[in-house]
Amino acid sequence: MTLPLALRRWEMLLLALLILISALNVAWSPFYLGVGNVVNLFQLEIEKIIVALVMTLIIINGEIDLSVASVMGLAACVAAYLFHAGWPMPWALAAALASGAAAGAFNGFWVAYVGLPSLAVTLAGLIGYRGIARILVEDRAYGGFPAWFNAIGQQPQVGPLTVSIIIFAVLFALMALVLHGSALGRLVYVMGNNVAAARYSGVRVRRIKLLLFTASGTIAALAGLLYAARLGSVRGDMAVGFELDIITIVLLGGVSIFGGSGNLVGVGLSILVILNLRNGMGLADITGNTQTSVIGALLILSVLAPNMAQTLHTKWKGRET
Amino acid sequence: MKKLLLATVACATLGLLAPHGARAQAIEPGKPVSMILLPKFLGIAVFDQAHNGAEEAAKELKNPAKLEFLGPTPENSVAGQIEIVTNAATQGVGALMISNNSGDQIVPAAKAAHAKGVKIVTWDSPIPSAEGEDVFVAQVDFTETGTVMADMALSILGAGGGTFAVLSASPDAANQNSWIAAMQTALKEPKYAKLKLAGIVYGNDQSETSYNQALALVDKYKDLKLIMAPTTVGIVAAAKAMQDEKLCDKIKVSGLGLPAEMLSYTKNGCAPEFALWSFVDLGYLSYYTAYGLATGAIKAEAGQSFVAGRMGKYTITKDPTRKEGLRILMGPFSKYNASNVEAAAK
Repeated sequence: MTLPLALRRWEMLLLALLILISALNVAWSPFYLGVGNVVNLFQLEIEKIIVALVMTLIIINGEIDLSVASVMGLAACVAAYLFHAGWPMPWALAAALASGAAAGAFNGFWVAYVGLPSLAVTLAGLIGYRGIARILVEDRAYGGFPAWFNAIGQQPQVGPLTVSIIIFAVLFALMALVLHGSALGRLVYVMGNNVAAARYSGVRVRRIKLLLFTASGTIAALAGLLYAARLGSVRGDMAVGFELDIITIVLLGGVSIFGGSGNLVGVGLSILVILNLRNGMGLADITGNTQTSVIGALLILSVLAPNMAQTLHTKWKGRET
Repeated sequence: MKKLLLATVACATLGLLAPHGARAQAIEPGKPVSMILLPKFLGIAVFDQAHNGAEEAAKELKNPAKLEFLGPTPENSVAGQIEIVTNAATQGVGALMISNNSGDQIVPAAKAAHAKGVKIVTWDSPIPSAEGEDVFVAQVDFTETGTVMADMALSILGAGGGTFAVLSASPDAANQNSWIAAMQTALKEPKYAKLKLAGIVYGNDQSETSYNQALALVDKYKDLKLIMAPTTVGIVAAAKAMQDEKLCDKIKVSGLGLPAEMLSYTKNGCAPEFALWSFVDLGYLSYYTAYGLATGAIKAEAGQSFVAGRMGKYTITKDPTRKEGLRILMGPFSKYNASNVEAAAK
């Protein structure tokens, strides 16, 4: 599989940025390279980057899922609610995952079989699933989960690694295999480029879209449960606003918002860039709005730069002829 | 400076001589302790005042290490607070002073930091379960807050009473929740019998949300006469909403507010009376507490006493408002109305 030249350039740019940020971090903080810090660097954003993996497939497919953060909240609230209603924790977790899958499938049905735009469908999901989550837990905070559940999110299980980090690594490998090494992955790109052409060539467009949205809901639910385990308590507003961070990670990774192009290498690099930047700023005691602005500026540049480069390139060519 | 030090010594001596109460530990200045003051989020006037108070204490104690004032953005408060606590543990700071906005969700991060030797002092809003926390510096007694709010409601609504509603901060803000609970308990007394609490809404300490929630209350309760907002953001938003909608004759606003922010609304009658404590003092006392803990001058144990500079002697006690946890009670309340708000706003 060969990448288009422009994309390869984008990844090189991200790589250079990553090296620059890491070098600055090393120069700035003696704590940056500690094992504990590297683990924390992933841990603090781990749920978002897990969801970013499946979001990559969704966006390449030419769709969007704005409901992921609400599904994260929904799953956490379902698990907390059922656990406090007397269910054993494993059953509560299974039901929470199922609720995520159902929420995703519901989105998928309207997009794939009714043909509504995913922007509208998942925007409704963003509001609706959050509503259900808030109805379940109201204004309370549910804690007191079994120690093994909290340990999943808080304590290292394999060497210094937490379960969440291992899940991220496994999912990354799995998604890369699907997207870049399977027939399904090729169809995801084909549909993202031209869904009509894909349909006429006999691609089971609907089934694939339904599958992607269901996967998105399930993985978002998993991430929501990991978030609950990491925080040790659940509220109705869990993960509010995460969808924007998740989507920006994917876009910074060079995935086109119009679908059809992008890859997981870019998204992986984008994850490392954002995580290291946040961590470095945190260790340099830069927080709040300053941190948000720096990351915001980076994202604006990342969205504008390729388009501007393209425009300039076209103009230049026009002058030559 | 010398005077202050002398005063400190004098207070310390007095503390030692005091016939009743525990022995007050003198806090030795000049030791390097890097500290972080962590508000719920940045950009709120009262937290800046607490920062000023902490800086004042830092100068008095001649702490050569830095005091950082770090906080998340309002939209990212929970994740942001957890991130700052986690990074503080990595950096190995001496003490962390947290106004907790994350309920018990901060516990794993606070415990991890505490295990690495970081002293955790909460101020303004504690960790509900007290896990991972050394001591909570409480601004005022939470029960007193309830009575003060009930009294203000009574004095505004008069003997005839009437319907009122609460506009609070976030649903999981431990301090607001316990004040409201204390007020509900106070309301059971016969003298408040004619005050009817219709409902509680949450503006999440964001101006726009609070503004809209205040207007929603007006729509929901036709006989509403008072909005009680135990949050400095909520009370301003509610007062502005009533003023903008020209409802101030019908519906009054009260609660906890900053004189500087409430001046015009108290003058024009929208918010005839409100209360608050000094956030400068709260920051100052929190700094002394955290510094004392980090330098080993005081231990996080009930019965430990120390002298907090100009504010005098304080004692750590068991926190009566929570199941677990230790508390230092600052107090007292100041009530503001048209007669004294101008002076306080300066």
